[in-house]
Amino acid sequence: MEAHADQRHGPGQRIETTLLCLLLLGIVVVATLQIVLRNFFSYSLFWADELIRLAVLWLAMVGGVAASRDGRHISLGVVERYFPRSWHRPAAVTATLFAALVTAALAWQGYRFVADSFAFGDTVLDAWPAWVFQAIIPVGFAIMSYRFALQALALVRRRRE
Amino acid sequence: MSLVVLLLLVVVLLLGAPIFSAIGASALFGFAGQDTNLSIVAIEFYGLAETPILLAIPLFTFAGFLLGEGGAPGRLVRLSQAALGALPGGLAMVSLVACAIFTAFTGASGVTIIALGAVLFPALTAAGYSERFSLGLITSSGSLGLLFAPSLPLILYGIVAEVSIDDLFRAGIGPGILMILALSLYCYWKNRRPSASEPFSVAKLKAAIVDARYELPLPPLVLGGIYSGYFAVSEAAAVTAVYVLVSEFVLRREIPLGALPRIVRESMVLVGGIFVILGLSLASTSYMISMEVPQRLFEWVSPYLATETFFLVALLVFLLIVGAILDIFSATVLVVPLIVPVALEYNVDPVHLGIVFLAAMELGYMTPPVGMNLFMSSLRFNKGIGEVCLATLPFLIVLFLCVLLITFLPQLSLFLVP
Repeated sequence: MEAHADQRHGPGQRIETTLLCLLLLGIVVVATLQIVLRNFFSYSLFWADELIRLAVLWLAMVGGVAASRDGRHISLGVVERYFPRSWHRPAAVTATLFAALVTAALAWQGYRFVADSFAFGDTVLDAWPAWVFQAIIPVGFAIMSYRFALQALALVRRRRE
Repeated sequence: MSLVVLLLLVVVLLLGAPIFSAIGASALFGFAGQDTNLSIVAIEFYGLAETPILLAIPLFTFAGFLLGEGGAPGRLVRLSQAALGALPGGLAMVSLVACAIFTAFTGASGVTIIALGAVLFPALTAAGYSERFSLGLITSSGSLGLLFAPSLPLILYGIVAEVSIDDLFRAGIGPGILMILALSLYCYWKNRRPSASEPFSVAKLKAAIVDARYELPLPPLVLGGIYSGYFAVSEAAAVTAVYVLVSEFVLRREIPLGALPRIVRESMVLVGGIFVILGLSLASTSYMISMEVPQRLFEWVSPYLATETFFLVALLVFLLIVGAILDIFSATVLVVPLIVPVALEYNVDPVHLGIVFLAAMELGYMTPPVGMNLFMSSLRFNKGIGEVCLATLPFLIVLFLCVLLITFLPQLSLFLVP
């Protein structure tokens, strides 16, 4: 699947890239700090490992959102390669709509998970509310769903050449 | 989950839907059929935040992309050439070794063919190797090195199969070297003319070593650290990322700092794609376990497959088919949870199974209809898929023989595992 060209730039893309940089470099810094402290000072930050794990979850979701925008999710793409041209557009529309529906369902189930966590008062990192960190699951899938829906719409609108 | 749903999922996959969406849908449909609260899918997905070792994947991938961006591929080829180029068939072996090292450090993302192919292909044809031979060599080398630490698929297999990643790193050494040796022998046999090689020069080797002075310490640091047990895998990943960041941006300054966001995005798009697949497969696997799919699978195959040998033969056939259809990451998260319990019933060591699995998947990179290396080469060198397939065939056969040895000689994998 290929993303529509005009989606590739814009504020959303910059936000994704900035977040990815902050998360990745943050992970590198904290993980390195942890190694240095552990080896040279026999000391360890009690929150570091958990914070890194949460950052990895965020990295996964933001990376997934970015992959939706760039049309870079892993797929088989058999039709594109082996079927006549006239098949490509209907196939892409169906596939993209399917992805939009599934990610919408995942966003909804993610929301229910986070709502439960909020209701139970789950915490991470000692005393932080867990739902704040978990919210990236429904938010990420919702944005992916929005991206896929836009792409499907763009594919339908695009005139046949 | 009904057959109709399964069929529907296969159809949308063929139409080009992202693999993660089909896995997510299968988990949703499956649990819906059991009247389970569907938020279980999100709960299982949150398992991504409860797997400490996962951290290694973004760090190694980022370091690999960064290495591929600068001049490291060229320096690696020049160094291998200075060291091995004087042997008969030397340049072909240079390609094999350079590709293997590069793939181990960049995961199996197809970067090798793009980054090294640009340097190696012209060098090979200029040295008198036929275009067809060079094409086949580079296409098949694009996934060589998959079995060496710290390759991404090895780490992912360890996570999914819940096997010690350190053990996998040790187990991959023998089979990985076997593959390189076998291909080297084939290259030597195919190009016996000594004229294809250049004379050995100490000065050249020295120059190449000096040239690669910042990259050279990396493999001993990472591999030494991991194999000696000094670093945990995720620590080694952090050290690698810091090392590459410092060497590329502070010492060498060959990549402009402004390119960093783009490289981060490109590498994290790949990681995000893999992790979303992994997270949803945690849910689909937990559904399959609740339906006792592995036990049923075992009960279904055991009347036909009486011994370990029969099981391994059937497994290999199955894996070769899976590898030809699915990419290595999706195949790992989907198939490994099913075959590990069955293999345990047959007393197959899960570490050995991992090496067999990945070696079979390595062949999948160069078999139609969806072999990634074939498409990468076809794109990179502007050749038709058919031509690339034919050029790759002899190398594929050599690697297939290696996979047979790896499958039926477990000692080859296990002799270094404590």
